[in-house]
Amino acid sequence: MTAAIDEFQFFLEKEWSDGFPVVTPTEARVRWMLEGTRCDPEEIIGHVPPAGEVMSVRDVAIHALMAGCRPEYLPVVIGAMRLILREEFNMGGVQCTMHGVAPLMIVNGPYALKIGVNGANGCFGPGFRANATIGRAIRLLLMNLGAGLAGKASATVFASPIRYTACLAENVAHTPWETLAVSRGYSPDENVITCAMVESPRLHFDDVSTEPERLLRGIADSMTSTGSWNMWFSSDVVVAMTPQHAGLCADAGMSRADVQRRLWELAERPQSNLKRGGNWRPERALAMGIDPDDDDHPIKAVKDVNRLHLIVAGGMGPITAVCHGWNESSHAVHGTYDT
Amino acid sequence: MPNELPFIDPTRGGSRTKLQRAPRPMDLAGKVVGLLDNTKEQADIILAAVGEDLRKRYGVADVIITRKEFFSKPAKPELLDDMAQKVDVAIAAVGG
Repeated sequence: MTAAIDEFQFFLEKEWSDGFPVVTPTEARVRWMLEGTRCDPEEIIGHVPPAGEVMSVRDVAIHALMAGCRPEYLPVVIGAMRLILREEFNMGGVQCTMHGVAPLMIVNGPYALKIGVNGANGCFGPGFRANATIGRAIRLLLMNLGAGLAGKASATVFASPIRYTACLAENVAHTPWETLAVSRGYSPDENVITCAMVESPRLHFDDVSTEPERLLRGIADSMTSTGSWNMWFSSDVVVAMTPQHAGLCADAGMSRADVQRRLWELAERPQSNLKRGGNWRPERALAMGIDPDDDDHPIKAVKDVNRLHLIVAGGMGPITAVCHGWNESSHAVHGTYDT
Repeated sequence: MPNELPFIDPTRGGSRTKLQRAPRPMDLAGKVVGLLDNTKEQADIILAAVGEDLRKRYGVADVIITRKEFFSKPAKPELLDDMAQKVDVAIAAVGG
């Protein structure tokens, strides 16, 4: 035991942290964390790109502990990492990209509610231990085992606040609709995680609309932008409506699927509009099978309606949060996890 | 690596395999150079110019330009193996 070591300082100097102090992982504390799972600690979950370091259940427990998780959060972190390492999610690409997207976790099902993953007021954080620490554990794993460090393996220009944590539930107490997971065919009793590679949320305020069409037209406008990659690649986009905005649509008879489709239809701009600035270039139009000279051609913010992930979250208020996507090399992943 | 700290090294303590870098040739004359196009726009134009310059200035015998699948994805091992068979020197390039 070397009493002279300031462990908080040590972890920060070693770049074994996100810049905040971590809970110091000791053997005794990691054993305590492992009480949260029935998995074998030596089970290999995968290799974390781009460094490709092997990741066992025990490694996840170490990082969950460091992040400040309680043992009952561990199954969610393990479940998320199993999904994040799927090839179609392309975590390796995001670990290295100039962009600042992060894997946003939407946790549905009874277990998330039991352990207190927040889907209501302030759900993007800060202030909620499960949301803050589950997402932070993911980030620490991506840094310490994947070497996704800015200026090293990661070419990220700005990174983004959601690279500290990106984990939330839906506001099931006040949503008028089924959850995202149920909309995909899961049972309401199943514990499901969805991960989509997106930017930090942009808040769309609308305290004026009294009918869905105006509301959705405005939200759709927030989904489109010059300079957004989802205009030129088939990307995932997450739209989180508050219960108030969702309720306005539901009261008018719209289902969750109706709203998803209408947003998908409305979220487009004519090519001429996108030529004014940002990342339009003729090669990108051609790659999408579009004539670069066809100024009237509509460019959709979401190419495939199924890649528009609509959730109901947040507290009471007239806001929808829109998270723009990355590129076609990453596809959102979802699946159940063991508790 | 033995852990002498009173806590756990979360990085697995340097268990990574150390790979030796390929020997660097001192001269490109007569060599075959492979250029890996990352698929970003205009990478092909830049690489064609680089290849031409390598021939003229350094006497490179041949330049082979290979494109990977997509810029955000790693090059497939088969592609890298194929390049390794065909070229003496490989340069990964970024377009954009």
